[in-house]
Amino acid sequence: MTPKGSIPVLQVRSTLVVSIQVELRDTIADAFQEDVLQRIAATSAGGLVIDISGLEMVDSYVARVIANTGRMAKLMGTETVLVGMRPEVAATLVRMGFRMEGARTALNLDEGLDLVEDLLRQRRGRERRGQ
Amino acid sequence: MKQQAMVKVRLDEAELQSRRAFFEIRDEDLRRLASLRAFADKYTHEVVEDLYILILGHADSAKLFVDHALVDRVKRAQREYFLGLFSGRCDFAYAEDRLRIGFAHERAGIPPKWYLGAYSRYMRSIFDRLLAELKDVNETRLAYQSAEKLVAFDMALAMDAYIAAQLQTVARHRAAIQELSTPVIRIYERVLLLPLVGTIDTQRAEQLMEAVLGKVVEEQAKVIIIDIAGVAIVDTKVAEHLLKTTEAVRLLGAQTILSGISPTIAKTVVHLGVDTSSMHTRSQLSEGLELAFDLVGREVTPSQGKRGSSGNARVGNAQR
Repeated sequence: MTPKGSIPVLQVRSTLVVSIQVELRDTIADAFQEDVLQRIAATSAGGLVIDISGLEMVDSYVARVIANTGRMAKLMGTETVLVGMRPEVAATLVRMGFRMEGARTALNLDEGLDLVEDLLRQRRGRERRGQ
Repeated sequence: MKQQAMVKVRLDEAELQSRRAFFEIRDEDLRRLASLRAFADKYTHEVVEDLYILILGHADSAKLFVDHALVDRVKRAQREYFLGLFSGRCDFAYAEDRLRIGFAHERAGIPPKWYLGAYSRYMRSIFDRLLAELKDVNETRLAYQSAEKLVAFDMALAMDAYIAAQLQTVARHRAAIQELSTPVIRIYERVLLLPLVGTIDTQRAEQLMEAVLGKVVEEQAKVIIIDIAGVAIVDTKVAEHLLKTTEAVRLLGAQTILSGISPTIAKTVVHLGVDTSSMHTRSQLSEGLELAFDLVGREVTPSQGKRGSSGNARVGNAQR
């Protein structure tokens, strides 16, 4: 169904869920970003949850691709939440001085979906108030 | 146990050969000692008794040997040791046996000074008896030198055993201190507390971050309160470490509350120009707790009858 090495993008109601279970090499990372953005364009999904609990290591390139995907999704009107980051990965990113600015995070998939709903509700509130 | 002794001192066949070469223990030495077996049998009792005249005659060393049963036991071990010198062996099993003696001394709390001092008396005692037995000065000299080489070899092993045991104790203490220095406690469902006391250097900050991150994921904690009231000095480095930990905790999907911020710490942080906008901060741990409960959807209300007393509070479901 999906080409070998690519990452499936699932849809749960109006939220897209991506679970990265393979090592993200540069080419896969780029393809992943392209796939996700295409799916957002096709579905107009309100939220995007990226599960990275399967990632044991993240280098600065992959971290940037993930963070940027969130920023791009935001421009397209989709709220992104990153879930399941491993302690070692968080420690490595912080030690590298890499800042995942603006990236929203949650402990697990369940809470990620909750947070997406919260974020969308907050956004509607702000927009209604004309902020 | 035996195996352990060898591992602690890292003794293998190559090491054994290297030691034997350095102490110049040759086969002829071992042969010479083996030929004195009759001498050894004859004098073993005397030599050991003589040793205990010294040990028990000295007020301080005698304190270690107040128990008669113990004295009998060590004397027996000493006699075996003496006979071992004239066994004509200096192999792996021999070294293992010597190491074990070293560890036994350490465990019994016999300091190296008594151990070495007793050896001095021991060697003089052996010399006198060799001379009495062999009569010939040159032969005595050769026999004594062979025994002396082997004894020096034994002493080196015993010293290594002492040092290995001490290092092990130090390592055990260090592990205990490390564990105590990052006590991440679960104080409520999904709320963790890390009370920090003492000095935070880079090494400790690293451990701290690892402990915090691991525990957050393990407990699926939403909030961790880091109380720094007991931290001696908060400087740029410490502030940076705390910021990094906060950021890493955020990446996991949890939040950090920094409590115990005294006026001094507040002044330092502002003067240092550290950006703490990503942190929740509170002056008192109690306020940190209230915020933590708020963040996990609980609220703290004063208990009835003690209205206004912050010492008696109840945690209930927050009405959202």
